[in-house]
Amino acid sequence: MKGMTTFQKFQRNVIIPYSYLIPALIFLVVAIFFPVIMSLILSFYSFTGYELNIFRKFVGFENFKFLFHNRYFWIALRNTFYFVGSMAVIQTTIALFLAIIIFFGNFKYSSLIRMLIFFPGVLAPVSVSLAWRKILEQDGVLNRILQINYPWLSNVNLAIWCVVFVNIWQWVGYNLVIFYAGLQSINKELLEAADIDGANWTQKIFKIVIPVLQPTIVLNVILNVIGSFRAFDIVYVLTRGGPAHNSEVFTTLMYYYSFAANGPGKMGVGAAIAFVMFLAIVVFGIVRIKLLKEEKG
Amino acid sequence: MKSRKSTSQKNKIKVLSYGIKKQRDFGFYIFSRIVIVIAIIVILFPILYIFSISLRTKETLYQDIFVLIPRAVTYQNYIDAFNYAKTHLDVSFLEMFRNSMICTAASITVAIIVSAFASFSFSNFRFRGKEIIYTLMIASFAIPVQASLIPLFFIARDLGIINTYLAVILPYIGFTIPIAILILRSFFERIPIEIKEAAKVDGVSNFQMFLRIILPLSKPAIATCVILLFLETWNEFLFALIFLQNPKIQTLPVAIAKIAGGKYLIPLGIYGASIMITVIPILIIFVIFQKWFISGVTLGAIKG
Repeated sequence: MKGMTTFQKFQRNVIIPYSYLIPALIFLVVAIFFPVIMSLILSFYSFTGYELNIFRKFVGFENFKFLFHNRYFWIALRNTFYFVGSMAVIQTTIALFLAIIIFFGNFKYSSLIRMLIFFPGVLAPVSVSLAWRKILEQDGVLNRILQINYPWLSNVNLAIWCVVFVNIWQWVGYNLVIFYAGLQSINKELLEAADIDGANWTQKIFKIVIPVLQPTIVLNVILNVIGSFRAFDIVYVLTRGGPAHNSEVFTTLMYYYSFAANGPGKMGVGAAIAFVMFLAIVVFGIVRIKLLKEEKG
Repeated sequence: MKSRKSTSQKNKIKVLSYGIKKQRDFGFYIFSRIVIVIAIIVILFPILYIFSISLRTKETLYQDIFVLIPRAVTYQNYIDAFNYAKTHLDVSFLEMFRNSMICTAASITVAIIVSAFASFSFSNFRFRGKEIIYTLMIASFAIPVQASLIPLFFIARDLGIINTYLAVILPYIGFTIPIAILILRSFFERIPIEIKEAAKVDGVSNFQMFLRIILPLSKPAIATCVILLFLETWNEFLFALIFLQNPKIQTLPVAIAKIAGGKYLIPLGIYGASIMITVIPILIIFVIFQKWFISGVTLGAIKG
């Protein structure tokens, strides 16, 4: 850098790199960073969607107090926990299981099988939920096949599990494809050596495949947690949070309080739910980084 | 040279699969077939069932063979679905597709262009704050969109863009940039340094290098971005639901979701046909670009 003036250095190290960066940065600040901060501030105010000045009425922790004394909030918390937890544990496990079966099964049409199972993942969650809604209805085809008359979607306890099932149905192929790519990258000689040593397939899976795939498992769990935590359309279309708010999750409850035509229009409460969600994902991020450090250290 | 390499690889794979085959017990063979058959039935059943429903007349709705095969086939439901959308959803299917296309194309194009610039900056320059900014950008992928929804609503309202395409295009760009940067940066960094050095020796400016060398080399990465961003924006529901309340400009998911609304009782055949109209174009695109979809998703995930 000899012979450069301070300005030239400044230009080279700051102006040029940042001028390429600025457009993307502006979009991120306007669409994400600024609104997230504003959302946190707004959770201390009371306002509706029609107010001109939304910062008129400061209410302190009233919105949070309202939430914590509200039955729906605890139902939504429980359901979000079921939903996100199921995606993290059940969906990941099914996907890993299927990936291993396909990989070791020596299927002739292996790529076609993967393609079919992956296919629901490219469809709109709205279309998927509309389809399942009809199938799960009381006079729907599922009851017709089983020759029973069970109200799957309007059962207080079962509704959220129907949502879980449909969500797994849609996204399991996504995890499967990622696992399969992970399996393909396993050192083939390792498996051959195990073959020569006379290892059976359970030994191969638990002693070689799963330890090697561990980072892929973590990756899939993280993707599922992030994806299901923000899922809205599937619950909205399948159950509308019903019956009587019993399948509400954070996202639908927030919509109900802030935007729904038949809702109370308490946007401050909606902002408070957004705050809780943001906090939850930050905590999740910190836990993940802590775990990562422990593994390395 | 290349072909010789690939045949030797093929041989290796053959030997390997033989090795597994020899050791594999018969039980696993049967077990794996049963599991996959069940999995495929569960996956395909809903799609095939809705397709089957969409082909039935009102009279033959419950007449079928093994639930899936209709006794009599008609395409009348598809015509009725087009009319039903016009009269009951206040927006025709053509308008829905047009709206979705405008929102998707506009946001993908802008998102990829600004992400390419940013990724070039990350991969080509050394500057203060680089990794912090990068980490912040990528971390914002994990933030649920709901966390910025309410303020964005008021920002859009004050800008007067509620009920215009811009109201969803702008957030879509913001929310998809992290994914695009993730993929593009890592691809740009894998472009051999010799190519960049040679360009610098020739006295090519940064911008010329970006435009003439980096971008043309990055077509596969850009294709991956297009696919991932297409899936994100084409299927997006929440923002479209809140920001596009005028039926005429509603995107496909928002408009179609109204058939579940229950304001009017919609005949089952039309219901199925409406769903299929949203599914079939995606099915065709998926079949044509299937390899790209799979590798795109895998790549996107592994980079993450």
